[in-house]
Amino acid sequence: IQLLEVTQHVETHKHIKSDDHKLSTEELEEKYGTSISKGLSSARAAEILARDGPNSLTPPKATPEIVKFLKQMVGGFSILLWIGAAFSWISFGIQFAQGAESPFDNLYLGVVLALVVILTGIFAYYQEAKSTNIMASFSKMIPQQALVIRDAEKKELPADQLVVGDIVEIKGGDRIPADIRLIFTQGCKVDNSSLTGESEPQSRSCDFTHENPLETRNIAFYSTTCVEGTATGIVINTGDRTIIGRIASLASGVGNGKTPIAIEIEHFVYLVAGVAISIGVLFFIISVSMRYKILDSIIFLIGIIVANVPEGLLATVTVSLSLTAKRMAKKNCLVKNLEAVETLGSTSIICSDKTGTLTQNRMTVAHLWFDDQIYSADTSEDQTTQPFDQSSQTWTALSKIVTLCNRAEFRPGQENLPVMKRVVVGDASETALLKFAEVVLGDVMDIRARNKKVAEIPFNSTNKFQLSIHETDDRNDKRFLLVMKGAPERILERCSTIMINGKEEPLDSEKAEAFQTAYMELGGMGERVLGFCHLYLPENEFPDTYPFDTDSMNFPTSNLCFVGLLSMIDPPRSTVPDAVSKCRSAGIKVIMVTGDHPITAKAIAKSVGIISATSETVEDMAKRLNVPVERVDRRQATAAVVNGMELKDMSLQQLDEVLCNHSEIVFARTSPQQKLIIVEGCQRQGAVVAVTGDGVNDSPALKKADIGIAMGIAGSDAAKNAADMVLLDDNFASIVTGVEEGRLIFDNLKKTIAYTLTKNIAELCPFLIYIIASIPMPIGTITILFIDLGTDIIPSVALAYEKAESDIMNRRPRNKSKDRLVNEQLAVYSYLHIGIMQSVGAFVTYFTVYAEQGFLPTTLLGVRVNWESNAINDFEDSYGQEWTKYQRTYLQWTGYTAFFVSITIQQVADLIIRKTRRNSIFQQGLFRNKVIWVGIFSQIGIALILTYGLGHVTALNFTPLRFQYWFVAVPFAILIWVYDEVRKLFIRRYPGSWWDKNMYY
Amino acid sequence: MERAAFVLLAVSRRSERGEKKHANVRAAVLDSPQRVIPARRRAIRPPRGSWAPTFENGAFKRRPSPIKLVKAVFIFLLSGLILLFYLVFYGFLAALFTFTMWVMLQTLSSDIPKYRDRIASPGLMISPKPDTALEFYFNKSDSQSYAEYVSTLRQFLETYDDSKQAQNIDCTPGKVFDQNDEAVKKACRFNLSELGQCSGKEDKTFGYSRGTPCVLVKMNRIIGLKPEGEPYIECSTKDEGTVQIIYFPPGGLIDLMYFPYYGKSLHAHYLQPLVAVQLAINSNSTKEEITIECKILGSPNLKNEDDRDKFLGRIAFKVQMTE
Repeated sequence: IQLLEVTQHVETHKHIKSDDHKLSTEELEEKYGTSISKGLSSARAAEILARDGPNSLTPPKATPEIVKFLKQMVGGFSILLWIGAAFSWISFGIQFAQGAESPFDNLYLGVVLALVVILTGIFAYYQEAKSTNIMASFSKMIPQQALVIRDAEKKELPADQLVVGDIVEIKGGDRIPADIRLIFTQGCKVDNSSLTGESEPQSRSCDFTHENPLETRNIAFYSTTCVEGTATGIVINTGDRTIIGRIASLASGVGNGKTPIAIEIEHFVYLVAGVAISIGVLFFIISVSMRYKILDSIIFLIGIIVANVPEGLLATVTVSLSLTAKRMAKKNCLVKNLEAVETLGSTSIICSDKTGTLTQNRMTVAHLWFDDQIYSADTSEDQTTQPFDQSSQTWTALSKIVTLCNRAEFRPGQENLPVMKRVVVGDASETALLKFAEVVLGDVMDIRARNKKVAEIPFNSTNKFQLSIHETDDRNDKRFLLVMKGAPERILERCSTIMINGKEEPLDSEKAEAFQTAYMELGGMGERVLGFCHLYLPENEFPDTYPFDTDSMNFPTSNLCFVGLLSMIDPPRSTVPDAVSKCRSAGIKVIMVTGDHPITAKAIAKSVGIISATSETVEDMAKRLNVPVERVDRRQATAAVVNGMELKDMSLQQLDEVLCNHSEIVFARTSPQQKLIIVEGCQRQGAVVAVTGDGVNDSPALKKADIGIAMGIAGSDAAKNAADMVLLDDNFASIVTGVEEGRLIFDNLKKTIAYTLTKNIAELCPFLIYIIASIPMPIGTITILFIDLGTDIIPSVALAYEKAESDIMNRRPRNKSKDRLVNEQLAVYSYLHIGIMQSVGAFVTYFTVYAEQGFLPTTLLGVRVNWESNAINDFEDSYGQEWTKYQRTYLQWTGYTAFFVSITIQQVADLIIRKTRRNSIFQQGLFRNKVIWVGIFSQIGIALILTYGLGHVTALNFTPLRFQYWFVAVPFAILIWVYDEVRKLFIRRYPGSWWDKNMYY
Repeated sequence: MERAAFVLLAVSRRSERGEKKHANVRAAVLDSPQRVIPARRRAIRPPRGSWAPTFENGAFKRRPSPIKLVKAVFIFLLSGLILLFYLVFYGFLAALFTFTMWVMLQTLSSDIPKYRDRIASPGLMISPKPDTALEFYFNKSDSQSYAEYVSTLRQFLETYDDSKQAQNIDCTPGKVFDQNDEAVKKACRFNLSELGQCSGKEDKTFGYSRGTPCVLVKMNRIIGLKPEGEPYIECSTKDEGTVQIIYFPPGGLIDLMYFPYYGKSLHAHYLQPLVAVQLAINSNSTKEEITIECKILGSPNLKNEDDRDKFLGRIAFKVQMTE
């Protein structure tokens, strides 16, 4: 609301300031020091360019790179790891001062931790920079050119070189390169929809028609498009000083909330950090009270933190998201902001534009009425024939009128293209008729050539008809054929007969009634209806040489023969109804927001299923029950068509009520500003709202929405800048594909996190047991980092490739506040079930290694102090042998390696079970996701390299390991798999049970 | 112990959940469930029992007072169920752990460890072993300052007392005493007298009172180790002329007849050979810190130069004596 005020403020401000539209051409020339015939001189233009800067919109102010980088360095788990590093250095300092024997271990550990933070930070920064670049490159794809007169020459210049005072020429199809005061026009029309949201092209002339520069006809605005005609004008504003520039800078003021996935990850980080800190502190207290030295306790604390923090996870999440973003780009959803990938998945309301998104954005003949019967035409995108009955003589006559009474033409050189794809010069309705005729009859241009046009009156708004007179291609028939099309009621007025089955019959009241019924019916479908009539001029009155004069109209324009009606509509894209029904089953509400007429909007909404066949609006119910609208119970109507005018008068509560009570809503005749109000209304319902938009004025709504979707083809740059996602094919169905991908990635991230969290317990338990039972350290801090950042990375990314378990488009959108990414079940199951099992397996390996080397489990309990003492070099094992400190340490590293290998082996099982959360692995297919296998092999490969390849590098604390120790944990890995299969089986078999509630994550 | 902690943790989380659960029932019915479940499943049946809230006309009707009590009981039962679950689950895991450990232990021999590759070569160690990293500080005229060393030595040599060696046999010197085929492995006698002045028989203070402290050097026991050649201990100091080193037995010889060792259970009375090093500290070198390094020499299969292991076949210690 505030924004609207600001917009208005800017508008009034502008109103006061600008008077260029009131000035005469001469005054303008003087004001801008230019000449209409010669333009500016290059030197002068360069001067102004230096003064005003390039003619482009300043991109929103970016955060400095260094700030972005530092943010990555302290975000997420980094703080915890920095604390760990700091503790390491502190304990190094203390030990060094005390002159202990190996203080450098802690120094190295601190360095490693810092490196981990810095490297993951750099990685995250790089990822972010990459995704930002995608968009930057996207907007630079097509540099706009402008035709400028400078130094009395016509030149093509990049549009950003334009300066105030330049004379530019514009023709149909061009984008207006700056705000321009027009000084010469020829049939010029501009599409201001990107600015004002009006979808009808506005005609432009040189006349000053309105006080308000936004309303007057002699100004064309930057970023709008010229639809037809040509014009020349003087540039009066460039860059940010254009109207668009002012609005665009407003959009950056709209708050941009955190994405749901960002919130989820934050929640997850808090959870894990909470667990890490509380366990760390708890054991710090325990170890201090167990009379460990403070320094040792601090070292334990570091270990616990490192074990608890999934160092590689945030990088993995980023990679998974960017993989999905790539996949979505292939499906025509270009995601600017990585996190938007998932946001799309949690979308619960889509506010979609109609034109171009739900529809094909071109008028197409949808129905015909002749011989007192309505025929439907094929409106699909790639029609090649028309299936309706074409045998009637009336159709022959009608087709002739459609073909001849039409000024639209194909641009030459497109013979090989499908008809529907060819570019046409002409307005929307004529284009529709031309293509329709081309599809049905074949070469229209040839037919026109054979029926030479002798006279023509183009359509104008006073006549509301178009007329032309042709010679016929029938050699024996020397009569001229007069053909006419126009507003049906106007055409009917001029007719006295009507053609039925090829025969002219008098137009009596009964036939007129039939016409009315058909007209109403077609109009009621939201279609634009045209009437067609003809007359063969008698040969004796109109001989070959008759001079037809369109000004004096020396030919009959009444008592014609009515032939039929054609109605046109911008038809829905053929993939849309399917997509809408997918949304419906996915629990996503689709709201249509359009500037179009309510009837058209409702018709399209019905045809694509936004309003389902059975539901009624209040008006429909009133009509059916035959009672006034006020007496209908509003709650009973599931559908609603809300007019922009009504919306204007609604209070917020009323709007909430509408949004709440009706499941199928269409907003018609809305302005882009109202879109913002609708989005805010939806968000008040707690919905995650996706909004499509193309115009500049849509950008506030796009920004405000949880996910703003800009149109790639029709969209303005401002909209693309404000959006989180760009729809490359402008197709609504692509949004739905995007939703599907978004939901999938949410599920898969859950799996990734569950996978990653599990082993944290297997990394943590050693520390806890080490502290409590005083056994030799089972796993080293460095080793843990090798799991977190080595073996586990590729497998956790591999889970992003997992296919959906069931039809994810058949469930409701995620409830933002309840369905967390990391919920209690996930944490409990990962930590307290699988994690504990993994720990048990790893400890069995650990004890096996020690026992087979001579230290039976019972000997190990309570030995920590002596074991770690540098002074004891005759430490006795269970068999009476004596060990030096280094021999023990080497054995301890072997223990680390064994523990590491066991965790790796069990993580393979963990990876396999995480493929599904509900289905059996065998239902999902063990080999369908090949990347998982890449993950498994990489995991084992890295473990092999670390143990056997780098086993002699002491700093890494790995040692070569006897081959059989790789298999000690295998039974536990199998157990994990079996246990999880049982869990899933019970979940499937006893849905809603205690088990389901506690075990499904 | 750690397991118990987890159970407790789990229980406390779960019971918290239980309390929330009741309040959530209504929300769960009214709001959409997170996964679309087939209609058959979607209906959330209130748990059976008279207290259960009923869903009528789109709203729950609250029933009066006894509900609270029953609710509490229900919550208790629910958390009880979870407690039971974890009890069974962790019980099972504990049993599994115990069982696999038992199986693993069954594969081990009680006589010799399965692998001995981590201790291929023995380390050297000394007795007495001061608490502060192998540094001897004492005042030869203050018996209190070396009392601990003396008592440690005495304690250490107790096992070598003749009375304790009654069942030990006299073996052939200079030859490895192989008894692989014997069921009962015999231990060779190590006569304390071999340690001469350091045996503690004549000088009860092991020379500490006279400024000639004794330090016993021993080689770590390793099962099956047979030293090659003629191993002996040699000690040296960088600070020349500060100390005279006398070895018992002479030359610091370690006799091969004490090898191999057959392990604690088979070779219960085994006594490892000792070499006593008596340090006759020069009277003008008192108050100096003297570093002594002892090495095992004369045997090609006993390492003494490992970069990382400073105690493998060698040992260094410091002595500082005051008067």
